[in-house]
Amino acid sequence: MIKMFDHKTHTSALLNHYLRIVTFFICLLLFCGCRTEHRFVKKAVFKDTHEIMITFAGPVDEAWAANMGNFSVYEKPDPDILSDIRSVVLSPDKMTLTLHTEEPISQDVSHKVVLKEIIADGVSQGTAYLTVNKLYIGYLFSILMGAMIIQNFVFSKYLGLCVFFGTSRKKSTAVGMGVTFTIVIVAASLMSWFFYQFVLKPFRLDYLQIVVFIGLVSLTVQGVDTILRKVNPALFSAFGVYLVLVIANCIVIAVPLILADNEYNVWESLMLALGAGLGFLIALFLMSSVRERLEFADIPESYRGLPIAFIVAGLFALAFMGFSGMSLF
Amino acid sequence: MKEIIKITVALTISCLVAGSVMGGVFILTAKAKKQNEHLNMQQTMFGLLEPEPPQKSEFSTADLNLYNVYRYIIEDNDKTYLGYMVPVKQDTRTAYDLLIIDLKGKLTDQHKLDLLPEAAREEQDRGTAIANALGSQKRAKYADTMIIAKLNDKRVAYLLPGEFPGFKTFIHAMAALDADFNILGLEIMAHEEDPGLGGEIEKKYFKNQFKGKTFEKLRQLKVIKEPLPEEYRQYLERKISQEDMAGIGKKYQDADIHAITGATISSSCVTNGLKRMVKKFVYRIKILDRVISEKDIHSVI
Amino acid sequence: MPVTTKTNKQLFVNGLLNENPIFRLALSMCPAVGISTTVMNGILLGIAVLFVQVFSSCTISLIKNHIHPRIRIPTYTLTIATWVTVIDLVLAAYMPVAYKAMGIFVRLIVAFAIITMRLEVFACKNDFAPSFWDGMGMGFGFMFGMVVLGAIREILGMGTLLGYDILGFRPLLFFVLPAAGFFTVGFMMAIFNYAETLYSRRRKEEKVV
Repeated sequence: MIKMFDHKTHTSALLNHYLRIVTFFICLLLFCGCRTEHRFVKKAVFKDTHEIMITFAGPVDEAWAANMGNFSVYEKPDPDILSDIRSVVLSPDKMTLTLHTEEPISQDVSHKVVLKEIIADGVSQGTAYLTVNKLYIGYLFSILMGAMIIQNFVFSKYLGLCVFFGTSRKKSTAVGMGVTFTIVIVAASLMSWFFYQFVLKPFRLDYLQIVVFIGLVSLTVQGVDTILRKVNPALFSAFGVYLVLVIANCIVIAVPLILADNEYNVWESLMLALGAGLGFLIALFLMSSVRERLEFADIPESYRGLPIAFIVAGLFALAFMGFSGMSLF
Repeated sequence: MKEIIKITVALTISCLVAGSVMGGVFILTAKAKKQNEHLNMQQTMFGLLEPEPPQKSEFSTADLNLYNVYRYIIEDNDKTYLGYMVPVKQDTRTAYDLLIIDLKGKLTDQHKLDLLPEAAREEQDRGTAIANALGSQKRAKYADTMIIAKLNDKRVAYLLPGEFPGFKTFIHAMAALDADFNILGLEIMAHEEDPGLGGEIEKKYFKNQFKGKTFEKLRQLKVIKEPLPEEYRQYLERKISQEDMAGIGKKYQDADIHAITGATISSSCVTNGLKRMVKKFVYRIKILDRVISEKDIHSVI
Repeated sequence: MPVTTKTNKQLFVNGLLNENPIFRLALSMCPAVGISTTVMNGILLGIAVLFVQVFSSCTISLIKNHIHPRIRIPTYTLTIATWVTVIDLVLAAYMPVAYKAMGIFVRLIVAFAIITMRLEVFACKNDFAPSFWDGMGMGFGFMFGMVVLGAIREILGMGTLLGYDILGFRPLLFFVLPAAGFFTVGFMMAIFNYAETLYSRRRKEEKVV
């Protein structure tokens, strides 16, 4: 009993620690996201499907804002094709300006807004060239949620099934496996990302990616094993058994391959790996909750064991299909 | 201690052997891969240009000359320009020139790149050639390619490879337009939509709906959620006799796009993507043509 | 060193039926669920797995006397990864369309439990010829499983087989949806279980008689 309690405090302390790191990075990203390229413009964001909102540091001239010729909006890849601006609305305090475009803005593409010769208090503030992006933190969050739920690796991409069916019999096993897996996959993916970006790609060795990635995954598993054994034997006795299983899970090799294919940067990679791990945890937890109850159900003899588990997983997959195509932010 | 050395030696030898096997295969396949990719692309293009049986072929695809025009976005501090890599006649051969056009459609600069069409196919080679021509201050970024098909000296078609966001990830497609910008066909090259639902965009009954739409019609093309009439489906899948083809084709000439059952979003993604792609292309090719004729550039396009 | 007593034919049939990797051992389920939408996918991935399994088994059985026991698993991994890279490069070069259809799964063969398992259980203890036939059996067993699943899903979902229209209508669109992979595998496993119980019951009755 005491030992169990010990595990829990250790686990929660560890989780707390991770949470603090993640919060710090989120704050950092939020800070970076609000910067614009012009000193007089505080921020420029997409507001609605047809609107871009620009906030200034001070009140701007009404006559300047009324002249439509001062504004132009275009998608970054198509600088020659300007979006038609239907109207420009200045807020009563003259600090914010809303540009309405004729056609809907696709927020996935970054847009450029040119404000010619901004005039405030009768003084020209120079021309502003602004880049309007989807909020980067929102984009990162959408990658995380995408990997976790919308494109869940187990229920929507059908990866890692062997380990998934093997360890989802009991809730405690499921959670242990999920947590171990998340830690390993984050470490292994980041390592693979660095290796791919700084060694394989510059030397045009990308055909070696399979060997290198599987080697790095084994290395991570071995490393986590050794560190955990020395630093926290209690945690090791709880989670150590799952470490061996991690390497047989194809998600752990699929994530580095996806990262390499999609050219994600380090933050996006972190989010995808974290999402994949947490998504696996969620899937295991859901599945084990059902399978614990299935033990007491009256199932036809030929369906006992794996077949019924597959059908339950199929039902989950159908439910998860409802998430597909959902977009956040 | 002796064991460690033994293990290290064994591992090193196996890694070396494995590495040389993989490297050897890579060297052997790299060239074939490039060639097959190019061949595949060409097959898709000719497939789009080949008219279907009831219509008489005005040309055989073997006689066509295809010219690629590559578009770059060039940034010079705050200024943005478009750079078009256009094949130009130089003495006896054809080589690429870079035309730099400002956002209002005026030619500001012209560079000789000395890049032959075969060499220009590689994005990396194009990048270095452009970087050498522009100097270090300006930065060029590849945007897209358009392909112009000519028979002798007459333009017969344009091919536009492009990608647009779909329901899940990007959909890669290629559209073919005739010389008056009417749609000759649409081919979906790659997508990751759900099989059975959004995946149906690659089926004939969907993509053939775009065939024959005029540029005017395309601009107002809508996606409607009505079931596909049976005769129209037969027509789209080319399962009816050739005599009936023309009649039904005429009847549905100006029909809107019928959405795929259960995949309205994928259907409208394709429709809107195609619309935007064609609109942008028409705008650009007109400017490019005007610049070429005004400045008397000996382009082959 | 325990050497197998089975004949080559028995080894082959063993992999194909008695120890079918998909339905009996329930290993390498990811592709069985993920890309078994058509027969063609099944055949192509089957060929890739067959190639990797046979070549890895042969390689390991040839060098089994030189493998240091402490680096056994890394050697297996390296061998498998090498052959996976080879088939990946070859498919990408010569069959680009099929390669695209299979997506990431070709490269994921490296993580298939079935291959490592056969190396550990069989190839590292046996000679070249039995290992070859064992690899063939497992590879064809995998292909057989994939083709059966693909056929069920293709006929029921799209009314076609190998791309040819045979029914002319689509009986159950559901089967081509991604989630239906789980159901198909579940049903197939149940059928195999049922066949086994019937078989054993009959043998028992025969004994009693």
